[in-house]
Amino acid sequence: MTARSTPDARPSTRHPSSGVAHTLQLGWAGLRRDLRAADVRALFLALVLAVAATTMIGFFLDRIGSALERQSGQLLGGDLVLVQGNPFDTQVLDTLEDAGMTTARQVNTVSMAGFDDRFQLASLKGVAPAYPLYGSFQVDFGDGAETTTQLPERHTIWVEPRLGTALGLTLGDSITLGDEPFRVSGWILEEPDHDVGLASFNPRIMINLPDLERSGLIAPGARLTWRLLAAGPPEAVRSLDDQLETWQDRGIRVIDVRKDSPRIGRALERSQQYLSLSGLAAVLLAGVAVAMATRRYVERHLDTAALMRCFGASQRQLSRIFAAQLAMLALTAAAAGAVLGLIGQWALLSLLVQFLPLELPPPGPLPLLLGMLTAVAILIGFAGPTLLRLKQVSALKVLRRELAPLPASGWVVIICASLMFGALLWLYSGDLVLSAGLLIGGLVTLVVLWGVAQVMLSLLLRGAALLPRHWRQGSRQLARRRQSSIGQILAFAVTFALMALIALVRTDLIDDWQSKLPDDAPNQFAINIQPSQRDGFISALDEITDSRSEVYPIVRGRLVEINGVTARDAVPEKARHDGNLRREINLTWAATMPDNNTLTEGAWFSDEDAREKQAATREAPVGVSVAKSMAEDLSLGIGDRLTFDIGGREITAEITSLRNVDWESFQPNFFVIFPPGPLERFSHSFITAFHLPLDEQQALGPLVQQYPSVSLLDIDAILQQVRDLLRQVSRAVELVLLFVLLAGVAVLYAALTASRPARSHEWALLRVFGAGDRRLVRTQLAEFGWLGFCSGLLGAMLAEGVSALLYGVWLDLDVRVHPSVWLLMPLGGALLIGGIGYLLSTPLRRQAPMESLRLLGEG
Amino acid sequence: MSTPETRKQDVEHPGQDDSQRDEQEGHARSARPQDRTTILMARQLEKTVGSGSSAITILKALDLEIHAGESVAIVGSSGSGKSTLLALLAGLDTLTHGELALFGEPLSSLDEDGRARLRAGQVGFVFQNFQLLPTLTALENVLLPLELSESSVDARQAQQWLARVGLEARVQHLPKQLSGGEQQRVAIARAFVTRPALVFADEPTGNLDRATGDRIADLLFTLNRESGTTLVLVTHDPQLAARCDRTLILDEGRLHAHGDSTAASHHEPDGVDHR
Repeated sequence: MTARSTPDARPSTRHPSSGVAHTLQLGWAGLRRDLRAADVRALFLALVLAVAATTMIGFFLDRIGSALERQSGQLLGGDLVLVQGNPFDTQVLDTLEDAGMTTARQVNTVSMAGFDDRFQLASLKGVAPAYPLYGSFQVDFGDGAETTTQLPERHTIWVEPRLGTALGLTLGDSITLGDEPFRVSGWILEEPDHDVGLASFNPRIMINLPDLERSGLIAPGARLTWRLLAAGPPEAVRSLDDQLETWQDRGIRVIDVRKDSPRIGRALERSQQYLSLSGLAAVLLAGVAVAMATRRYVERHLDTAALMRCFGASQRQLSRIFAAQLAMLALTAAAAGAVLGLIGQWALLSLLVQFLPLELPPPGPLPLLLGMLTAVAILIGFAGPTLLRLKQVSALKVLRRELAPLPASGWVVIICASLMFGALLWLYSGDLVLSAGLLIGGLVTLVVLWGVAQVMLSLLLRGAALLPRHWRQGSRQLARRRQSSIGQILAFAVTFALMALIALVRTDLIDDWQSKLPDDAPNQFAINIQPSQRDGFISALDEITDSRSEVYPIVRGRLVEINGVTARDAVPEKARHDGNLRREINLTWAATMPDNNTLTEGAWFSDEDAREKQAATREAPVGVSVAKSMAEDLSLGIGDRLTFDIGGREITAEITSLRNVDWESFQPNFFVIFPPGPLERFSHSFITAFHLPLDEQQALGPLVQQYPSVSLLDIDAILQQVRDLLRQVSRAVELVLLFVLLAGVAVLYAALTASRPARSHEWALLRVFGAGDRRLVRTQLAEFGWLGFCSGLLGAMLAEGVSALLYGVWLDLDVRVHPSVWLLMPLGGALLIGGIGYLLSTPLRRQAPMESLRLLGEG
Repeated sequence: MSTPETRKQDVEHPGQDDSQRDEQEGHARSARPQDRTTILMARQLEKTVGSGSSAITILKALDLEIHAGESVAIVGSSGSGKSTLLALLAGLDTLTHGELALFGEPLSSLDEDGRARLRAGQVGFVFQNFQLLPTLTALENVLLPLELSESSVDARQAQQWLARVGLEARVQHLPKQLSGGEQQRVAIARAFVTRPALVFADEPTGNLDRATGDRIADLLFTLNRESGTTLVLVTHDPQLAARCDRTLILDEGRLHAHGDSTAASHHEPDGVDHR
């Protein structure tokens, strides 16, 4: 270099500051200014929705999970219920209390209640202080229903109204139990642990435990059940796990709220699965919106980055500034989303509050952290590869526009986003194999959809040739930007499919619940109908109701051997404590399979076959049909031989079929069904279920008096509770659906915003060349309409396919075709995209062509 | 002699009163001819694009020396490589052969980040298409280079510069709300706000009508003179080039001084004779 160009020539340098504070300051300034841009607003909105959906559902599931366990606990009477035929020794009581559980003793027995010269078998529940551990009673003391947690006072009892009907009682009357008279002080309408066991087939009498002891009914030889109810925090219950096994081995029956949830549990479980699914759908939709908004964001910031490079920013400084800007965007969105999520979960819970009588645990920090993590993960996964372009910008781009770094390949973006979404799936589900499977399935589906979209676009071009001019032009516009059109069609199709799926699942789930519980679902069970009473009772019943189930015989038997080996030794280790091995189960016979059962394996027996077989040799085992759930629990299959002990006599049967049983149907259901014949020689009674509206139930009075040994079980209260619960859960599900729909709209907004500059330029050029407004509007409407139509059609294919998979595998619903989806989605898509596109382009139409051209020039 | 440091002090307060400014203007003008510090120096500069048989040499064995305080116009017809030369001189692009030093620092020894650091706060740019960021207001656009180099920025500095280019009433306007001339004024304020030693202007009036272009040129040269900044201006407009201290003509990849008989006879840019 020349002598003149000394280091002195260099002015005092002012290096760009690279301090953290300065970077954050620049990031914040940039973000604040950027909020004027539609793409940043779309990015922000998408992130807010993703975080709101995940935190709302996370908070809700977190809080409701433990609350529901308690709700189940309320139906069972406690978190743990220990049952045996003798009083519990103090060691059991001490162990429970030492673990931090509150306990309440209870004795159940069946006894004759006498009033005047009438008698009725009643089910007595002797309760001691601390009961009820969960929930409360509904008692009518003469002034209508009242909620109370008090127990009946000494020397008084509460009775179920149907006992009053059977005996002709009024409040204040005294009835005799054992040796003692007791005054009836209230009608018991609801009790917390209203179990559906055999004891409750008789009308309930609630009595103080010391009174029950005094009545002389607790005597050697009496049929008594001692129950020890225990309630406590989940960790206390967990700490008792080993002890529970020991007690079970000692013959104590343990009912555990975690395993033996009541029948409404399944509906709630599915609604929770639905909510998780919706949460994921919202995250995926938000991700798609983020990916689309990021494209525009990056396009716009390429110039900023190039200018900043001109002004002396290093690559590293640029990366840091943009990272800081986006991190702040993510954090702000996460905070806004978390607030929205908190409000949302509060709304969800308030819908269900009447079913959650206990104080809910406060929201924990975990869902909040998950929400924040989701925002960052979405940004990295769905926006990362696109954002890398900013780092690669050369300062020379300010002089030569064509020097913009190459956009990240669509497939790279998809793969990176998929990996991140897979990681989120794994985080939420905790199941790596499932997440990987879903991920690979999703990618394969995308490739297939991509191919279908290509074909669809080609067909559209050909088909549209037959249509009026603007439709033709609209389709040509789409085809001209083929790759970007296909990208948009895929994104919209996934969006529509997710929205449709969440809506479909919601409808089918609620329909399914409603069909399980139609208005005329049986609300009364009649049991203990003796063979001699069968015909008389049934014809009397048919006079008061049209809605009755089949009449099934019941034989009580215990499964003692499987393939000649003691049952307990023949089943897998984990099934050794299975209830079906411990107690007598209800066996029945039937010539035809019950309506709500479906055959899954083997063949149903015809009664003639069975009779022939039976006639051929009395030793040959008869065929028997077993419920699939029981077969799975005990590892049984077709051909296995089961030996039952029925009142001391044994019968062996070979499994010839397995059935799916709908246990939620409120119909008589059986684990084991024999063919007609072999069981008839054993002592049996009959059962039926029927529906009788509440206001017609006085007609039962004469029936009960005519057949005093037949017991009626009123399940109306349970039925009502389940109905109410399902209705509220349905509302919660709808609220979540709203979130998913909003996320879907965010995608549309982001995508159409992203394509606005290019359209604006095209629009301006066409106007310069003399196209009129009317023509431009029509062509653009046609283009958007076609875009929506293709996306809707592709979305319908996707939604139908995925719903079949979801229903069959996950939600356990019947797979069905939804014709409405095929009609509504393409048309709805065309209208929606056409409408939003039209609205978003309104400002462009008002712009002078020169302005549009100049705006594009500035990127 | 006015070193870059003293020049910076001269324009420390762009909002100062007229009498002060006049005094400094005189100082800058009188200082300029005596300052022979080399700001930019190129020796045997060559730029080739493409490779093999498709390689095209845009700039050939080009020598150039620009001194502090000078205003130099580089003229040439469209496609003559003016913008390529400007990009090389500003360190926005890399050369194929030769030596190039900016502020005495050989650019070939620096990577892109090193060249960016060298420009930071010392080099201003005015572009033909303004290059204002559309979502930033006029004020924010001017603040951008300041913010990049200083951790605590006084927005008044940018406001004063906008006032100086006559846009005090338009500070909160977005570029789309400004006319082309106004946008270029914002760009000029942005180029000078960091008190750079060197300003590159690439066809600064190329997108403007003649009257507006003249006003913008007036403004550019006034500010340049007042600030004592070195100005390298690329243009195909001979009238604009004529306002510079020196005019260099780029033709077939080679640079000739204006008036050089070997070039001037048949290399008048755009066929327009000037000065």
